[in-house]
Amino acid sequence: MTIPVTDPEIVTTVTEIAAIELGVPAANLSPETDLREIEGMDSVKVLRMIAKIEHAYDIELDDEVVFDLTTIAGTTEAVRAALAERA
Amino acid sequence: MTGLRVAGTNQHYDLDPEIFGLFLDPLRKYSSALYESPDDTLAVAQERKLRFVAGRLGLSGGERVLDAGCGWGSLLLFMAREYGCRMTGISPAPRQHEYIEARAAELGVSDLVTVRSGYFEVTDLPERGFDAVSMLGSIVHMPDLGAAFRAARRVLRRGGSLYVSESCFRSTAAHAAHAARTGTQFVAEEIFGWGDMRPLSALVAGAEDAGFSVVAVDDLTAHYHRTIEDWLAGVRAQRERIEALAPGYSSVLERYLETANAGWGYTTKHYALTCRNSR
Repeated sequence: MTIPVTDPEIVTTVTEIAAIELGVPAANLSPETDLREIEGMDSVKVLRMIAKIEHAYDIELDDEVVFDLTTIAGTTEAVRAALAERA
Repeated sequence: MTGLRVAGTNQHYDLDPEIFGLFLDPLRKYSSALYESPDDTLAVAQERKLRFVAGRLGLSGGERVLDAGCGWGSLLLFMAREYGCRMTGISPAPRQHEYIEARAAELGVSDLVTVRSGYFEVTDLPERGFDAVSMLGSIVHMPDLGAAFRAARRVLRRGGSLYVSESCFRSTAAHAAHAARTGTQFVAEEIFGWGDMRPLSALVAGAEDAGFSVVAVDDLTAHYHRTIEDWLAGVRAQRERIEALAPGYSSVLERYLETANAGWGYTTKHYALTCRNSR
C-alpha cells in the first residue's frame, strides 16, 4: 500500500477525491458536511466519487454505504472498515 | 400499441449518422466492445466483439441472420463480409437504413444485406426463416419484453440461436429503486425517448416464457465501461465537429455517457444472454 491508511489520512484522501468529483473546494468540506446538501449534487457524481475512492484503496464498499452515504466522516469509517476486513 | 408509439419517439438513433462516425469505431458499432489487452483500440475490440457474437450464435458461414435493432449496420455488414451470412436488419430509424444500404454497396455486399423499417415485435418476417437472431442493446427500447422474445422465437428455425446483450439494473430491487431517478430518466427519456433497463432475471424470464433454452450468460460490464470511456474520449476530441452537425449535442452526449459509466456495477450491469430455440 502506498496510500496512507490512518483515519486522519483517510479523511484527507476522501476529502480530496470528494472535492474533485463533487466540484467544490476542499476547504469547503468538513468531515461532517452533508454531501447531499451540496449545490449541484447528484447520484452520478456520488458514484464517481465512490468509484475513485474504491480504486484508490483497492476496496469494495458495502451497498449500504454506497447508497446511503452522507458525510466524509461516514465514508472514512466505511473505508477503514473495508481495509480492516481485507487485512 | 401505446408502448410502440412511445418507442417511436426514439430519435437519438435517427440523428445525422455522421455524428456517430465522429466518436464510434469505424464500423459505427453502438454497443459494447470486447477488450483483451490494455493496448486494444476501440476498433480492434469492436471487431473482436463481433467475432464473439458470431461464436455465440454458432455462425460458420452462409447462415440467415436477423439483427433486430441494427443501428448503423456494423453487425450486418461484418457478418456479410466476414462470414458470407445472408443478413436482414430491422430498426425504426430511417436514416440508419440509408447509411447501411450505401455502405453495403461500397463493400460489395448489397446482395447479402437487407434492411427493413419497422418494429421487430410486430414484424411480418417469415416464420422459422432465420438460423440466428441478434439483439445488441435494442430490447431495452422495446416496451413489451414478452412480445420481443416471442417474435425472436417465431422467426427462428428449430435449433436456431438468439443473442441478446443488454444493460440491466443489477437486481429487481435496484430496478425499482433507481428507474425513477434523475440520471435514469435523463438517459431513458431525453436521450432515447423510451428505455427500460430490466434486470437480467426479467430477460431470462422473458426468454424462458417464450420457450427458449438459455445456453450462456456473459458479464460484459467492465467491457462496456471501457467502451464508453473510449467513446467519451472521442466526443471530447471531436467536440467542435459534433457541434457543427448538432449544436449543443456534444455536452448532451457527454452527460449521457458519463451517467451510464458512473452506474456500472453499482446500479447497472451489462449482460449477454445466448438462447437456443430447442428443448
